[in-house]
Amino acid sequence: MITIELFGVPRLRADRASVTVEAVSLGEAFRALGVACPALDPAVVHDGVLRSHYLVAVNGLHLTADPTTPLAEGDVVVVLSAEAGG
Amino acid sequence: MNGGWLGRYLRVDVGLGSGEIVELERSTLRAVLGGAGLAALLLLRETPARFDALGPDAALIFAFGPLGGTPLTTSAKLAVVAKSPLTGRIGDALTSSDFALAGKRTGFDAIVVRGQAAAPSVVLIDGDRVTMASAADLWGSGAAIADVEAALRARHPGFEFAVIGEAGERLVRYAGVVNGGRHAGRGGLGAVLGSKQIKAVGVRGKQRVIIADPGRAVALAKDLARRSLGPATEKYRELGTVANLATFNRLAALPTRNFQASTFEGAATISGEELKLTRERGRGSCANCTIGCEHFYEVTPGAAPVKAEYESVFALGPLCGIADPAVVLAAARACDELGLDTISTGGTIAFAMECAERGLFPEGPLEEATRGLRFGDGARLLALIDDIAHRRGALGDLLANGSRSAAETLGPPAPDLAPHVKGLEIPGYDPRALQTMALGFAVGTRGADHNRSGAYEADFSGKVDRLAAGPEAAEHAIASEDRAAVMDSLILCKFLRGALTDFFGECAELLLAVTGEDLGADGLRAAAARIVLLKKLFNVREGWTPAEDTLPARLFDTPLPSGAAKGTVLSRERLGAMIAAYNVGRGWERDGGLPREALIAAGVEALLEPRG
Repeated sequence: MITIELFGVPRLRADRASVTVEAVSLGEAFRALGVACPALDPAVVHDGVLRSHYLVAVNGLHLTADPTTPLAEGDVVVVLSAEAGG
Repeated sequence: MNGGWLGRYLRVDVGLGSGEIVELERSTLRAVLGGAGLAALLLLRETPARFDALGPDAALIFAFGPLGGTPLTTSAKLAVVAKSPLTGRIGDALTSSDFALAGKRTGFDAIVVRGQAAAPSVVLIDGDRVTMASAADLWGSGAAIADVEAALRARHPGFEFAVIGEAGERLVRYAGVVNGGRHAGRGGLGAVLGSKQIKAVGVRGKQRVIIADPGRAVALAKDLARRSLGPATEKYRELGTVANLATFNRLAALPTRNFQASTFEGAATISGEELKLTRERGRGSCANCTIGCEHFYEVTPGAAPVKAEYESVFALGPLCGIADPAVVLAAARACDELGLDTISTGGTIAFAMECAERGLFPEGPLEEATRGLRFGDGARLLALIDDIAHRRGALGDLLANGSRSAAETLGPPAPDLAPHVKGLEIPGYDPRALQTMALGFAVGTRGADHNRSGAYEADFSGKVDRLAAGPEAAEHAIASEDRAAVMDSLILCKFLRGALTDFFGECAELLLAVTGEDLGADGLRAAAARIVLLKKLFNVREGWTPAEDTLPARLFDTPLPSGAAKGTVLSRERLGAMIAAYNVGRGWERDGGLPREALIAAGVEALLEPRG
C-alpha cells in the first residue's frame, strides 16, 4: 500500500489528510488519488498526471512530479503546493 | 516623462523642516527602474561612506515604482530603504497599499528623508510642500500603531501615514515602519525614523499617473488580474502563507527551537489548515490587489482578529518551541502594535531561550532576568516582546539589538548559536533542508532574507537536490535574485510570479505599456543585475567583507536531528563552493569583491554621479 498525504489546498479540497492506494509508480498513485478524492480531479491530478503548481515528495524527501517515478510498498507520497513563498 | 515615472524625487531635511526637489534623468530611471532599484542608487548618492545608520547623515528612502498607480494588480507598493542599524548593510523592505498610492500622487518617484528633528515630529508632504507638525503627544504615548495612524488621519485629513511604534521610538534595531497594517518590517527601518525623531510621515497629493499606452495597459491589467486568480496563487488565497508551516514540517524544513531541529511536534496545532478550520475570521488584501492573501485569525473570543503570516507564526511558534495558537497569535499582535519585526523578534528570543537553557548568561542582571527561561514558555515570550520594545531592563535592552549583538556580548559559544546572516535573523526556511536557499541566505545583501532571494523556489522545483546542493545552485540563486530585483523595482507583488510564464518578457511588456520604454527582456535582465550590484556596492562601501557571506556555525556543525531529512548536513566546503560559483556567475571576484570592470560594464559608475 502507498500512503498519500495531502497538505494545503489539496487537503482542503479533499477534506481529508491522507488516503491509501495501490500503486507502483507516481502516475498510478495520481490516478488512484483522483478516484479516491474526486474533488482533486482535475485541479490537482488528472489522468495520471500531477498538475503544475503542485509537487510531491516521496517519503518527504526529494521533490518531483514525474509520473514514472517508481514506488515501493510502504512509500509515503506527500502532495504539496509548489509555491513556497512566505 | 512619457508615463509611469515622474522624473524627480523629494529630498526632505527634517532638521530644517524643508524639502528640495531633485530632477531624475530618464536614463537613470531606465537603468534602475524605480522602487528598490532607485532607492539603492539614491542611498549611495545621498549618504557619505561609513555613516552612522542612526545618525543625522542617514537617509530613509520611500521609493515608488513606475507601475504604481496604474490598474495593474498588486502594483500599489513601495520600497522603504536605508542602512540597516541591525546589519550595517543595506536594508530594503517592501510594503504596500494606500500609502504607496498617496505617496506617488505627491508627484515624486522617491522621497528621501534626512537629518534629525529637534523634537518628536510628523513630516507632512502635500505635493511639493513639506511641513512639520509636533508629535509630542504621540511620542511615548504607548498607543498602538493603528491608533496612532487613526489619530493622525483625523488630525490631517486626506493624508496617508507611515508610522513607527514604541519600538522605533526606542531605536530597537529591528523596529519596522508601518502603514495601514502593512509592515516594512525587516532590518530596523523604524529605528532609523526613530533616530530622526520622526513618528510618522504623511503623504497627500493630486498628481495623476500618466500611462504611455492606456489601452494596452488596461488590457494587460485585465489579463494579469485573471491569471492572478489561477492555481499559482490558490495557496495564498485559500490558506495564506501560513500554509507553509505543516508542509515545511513534513519536509523537515521548519526551523524549530532556535534551529536545533527542523521539525516541531506541535506543528499541527498552529498549521494553516488548522487555523483556517478553527480560528479564521476573515480575509483581506492590499489596495489594488486581486489575490487577497491576508487571513485574519481569532486570538481570543470577542477580540478583533489578527492578521498572521507564515513567518510570524514560525518565528513566534516553533522557533520558540511554542504550539499554543492563542499565544503565537497574541505575540504576532503585540509585535504589530509595537512595531517589531516578527522574524527578528522570534529569532532573538529563541536565541535567548537556548542561551538560558545552556546557562550562557553571565551572573548578574542578565542571569537573573533569564532564570527559568525555557523553550515553550508562552508567558515569557509575551513579556519579552514588551521588554524588548521598551528596552526594559538589562535583558530587554540587550535583545533589542538583535541576536548577533547579544551573542557578541555573551561571548563564545553564543555567536555560533545566533540565528542570523549579516545580523539579520533567518526566516523560516531551514538552510540544511533547502540548500539552494542556504546560498541565497549567505550571499543576500540584506542578510538572511527570503524576499530578496527566493532561491527556495529551486529547492521546491524538483530540479535540484534540496538536501545536497552544489555549485549549480548559483544559477538558480542568481535568477531568483534578479526576478526579485525586477519585482521590487517595478513594483509588483512576488505572489504574482507563478502566474507569469515568461517573466522578463512579460514584465518588459508591462513597463513598455506604462512608461513607453522598451527595455525588452534582456534590458530588464541587465537592470536586475545592475540593481543587485548597486546593493552589493553599498555594502562594500559600508565595510562588507567576504567572511560575512556565510551561515551560523551551528548549521554546519549539526546534522538535522529528526524528520524526513534526518542526518542531512550542509558542509562549509560545499556552501563555499556554491558561494564562489555565485560570485563568478555574477561577474564578480571569486570572493565576492567587485572588480571595477563590472561596475563600468553595468554603467554603475556613471549613475553614481549626482546630477540633481
